[in-house]
Amino acid sequence: MSDGTALNGVVEGRARRLRTPNDSPLKWLCLAPVAVWFVLLFGLPLAFLVWIGFWRIEDFQQVPDFSLDNYREIAGNLFVKSRYGLAMLQSFWVAATTALVAVAFAYGIALAIAFAVPAKRQRLALLFAVAPFWSSYVLRLYSWQTILSKNGVVNSVLKAAGIDVVRLDVIYTQIATRIGLVHYLTPILVVILYVTVANIDRTLIEAARELGATRWQAFRRVILPLSKVGLITAGSFAVIIALGDALSGNLLGGGTGRSLIGKYPLFASMLMTDYSSSTNLPRTSALATILILMMILVLVTGAIFAGRAQRRISG
Amino acid sequence: MTKKRNGKSSLPGLSSRAGLSRRDVLGGMAAAAAFGTFTIISKRAEAADALRILCWPGYEEKDVIEEFEDTHKVKVEFKIYIGGEQMLQFFGQTQPGTFDAIISDAEYVQKLLARKAVEAFSTADMPELANYHPKFRDFAPMRAGEGKVYGIPTRFSFYGISYNTDYLSADEAADWNSLFLPKLTGKVGVFDWYLPTMGNASLAVTPGNQTPYDISDAQLASVKEWLLKLRPQVSMFGSSSQPIVQAMIAGDVYASPTGDLDVDLKLAGYENFSSTIPKQGGIRWQEVATICTDSTKKDLAKEWVKYMTGPKVQSKLVYTKAFKARGPNMKIVDYWDADQKKLLSYVPDPEHPGQMIVETLIDRSMPRGLPAQQPDTQWIEIFNEFKTT
Repeated sequence: MSDGTALNGVVEGRARRLRTPNDSPLKWLCLAPVAVWFVLLFGLPLAFLVWIGFWRIEDFQQVPDFSLDNYREIAGNLFVKSRYGLAMLQSFWVAATTALVAVAFAYGIALAIAFAVPAKRQRLALLFAVAPFWSSYVLRLYSWQTILSKNGVVNSVLKAAGIDVVRLDVIYTQIATRIGLVHYLTPILVVILYVTVANIDRTLIEAARELGATRWQAFRRVILPLSKVGLITAGSFAVIIALGDALSGNLLGGGTGRSLIGKYPLFASMLMTDYSSSTNLPRTSALATILILMMILVLVTGAIFAGRAQRRISG
Repeated sequence: MTKKRNGKSSLPGLSSRAGLSRRDVLGGMAAAAAFGTFTIISKRAEAADALRILCWPGYEEKDVIEEFEDTHKVKVEFKIYIGGEQMLQFFGQTQPGTFDAIISDAEYVQKLLARKAVEAFSTADMPELANYHPKFRDFAPMRAGEGKVYGIPTRFSFYGISYNTDYLSADEAADWNSLFLPKLTGKVGVFDWYLPTMGNASLAVTPGNQTPYDISDAQLASVKEWLLKLRPQVSMFGSSSQPIVQAMIAGDVYASPTGDLDVDLKLAGYENFSSTIPKQGGIRWQEVATICTDSTKKDLAKEWVKYMTGPKVQSKLVYTKAFKARGPNMKIVDYWDADQKKLLSYVPDPEHPGQMIVETLIDRSMPRGLPAQQPDTQWIEIFNEFKTT
């Protein structure tokens, strides 16, 4: 074998090994913190939570076991007595409608930042859009309570303006719950959707316009389809957060806020009450596991739709 | 005042002596448990000889504990919890012997006893008990059902009716049935915890019952009926007293069977609020000081319990920044000014000459307890049905 051939062999071998950066052994080092974080702060607590759901209570104490009694009890109370099923329906209804409004609202803001604000100012605009996220969520909810209540800001202004016939009456309804949730979600969704919109290839939009598309047609035929993955991701994210949130439902929705479905509490709210009012952590864990399953269902559905949308764009 | 409670948790409780030991579970789930115990471990390292107490907020305030620390030349460290369940969780997540004393809600003493967490002690050397209101010298929850004393009351207050005087008169507030008045439709706020609400409902249907949690199935059915009748009147359920106070200020709630919310409101400058215990009776909460079974400083822990029975310390304890309450030692008034006495009802009762308003309220109230004849799940299911109707 000549020296040249040997050298070529070494170079080819190295090229094979370093085909992509992922071939570097350093990747395991870099991934290790993520794996440790995931296992310690997510995997183990989650597994523990699910495990406790099978325990039972004996003389005010948790006894390790593998009993399905907690799940049987919850299943038996889906539409009678505690009516967990109605709380689940309420949660899905409020979360889905909240996600719809929040995504639409955040999408509008993201579009405005990406297309109406000069490139140099976009970071600043994004900063302003996410600014509410820096303040306390509970304080924001109490502020909304001050705005929406019977003697609140809105009704006081209406009264001062002499418009007594019109009165805002949304406090302790699920509309108020949604207002709190939309306020909470919007900054997060704006970031997700801004990244989506900002990454749309501008030449495609320009091409559409040069081929005679109106602004609306360019939006509907180019921008919206290319935003679909981001919109589905943001929507799934919004539903999951809204499903898990109990604060807005408690403070603005009054615990059992009225909605089209009825005056039922959110499932997360029932879970919190169950935890704080009885020495029955196994049943609370079972309820929490059910909530997590509801979230996984949303996540998987979102992933399927996002995958389809991505394939359509790629194809 | 209704004590603040919330359901925020870090990790699930780990205690279980019946199956795995706490040590086993802690070992297996070290990473998870570390978050619940970190504060205690660090403090322990800082002061090995400190007295460690698990308690509701207020006991750790300088004014309250300073004299004890100076007298006994000891540092007292506190782990604060919000809610009985959190107390059990914190206790369960720590090594035996971590705590020397626990401030517990009176009815939770039996839960602590089930875990062999606290032990009985003699009250013979506690002279201040003679100044306690008779109802606090010796009542069932202190004894956890077997005759021995496990806890001494330190602080209490009531779950009566708090109301806006612009919409409800004192006479109306003196009757639980006034909550059904048409003017209160959609204007009642309820504390989202089954024990006080159902205890009050129990008294509303069985006036004067000294054991409102020890009721028959038929009586429990009446309680459920009363609650379901009340439901249309209810606009909101508050997870603590704060949302209900906010709702009362905002005019969204006119009355609440949640106790003396008027204390906070009056301090905030709102004079149009008051509270009372209806003639049928109302529920009373109380905290008790207990001594831990595994403590290595039981004598010192008992000295602290003894210290907490004094009127001076109670006068500060029930008037802390955390919240306002009442003290069982009637000499407490010697350490208050006129405003404090008036605010907390330690003033003569014009309707009952010779006694203070607070004594009338104590006479009319029954201690919060746990369901005796039915499993607590049965009561919780009724409360959930009340909420979801």
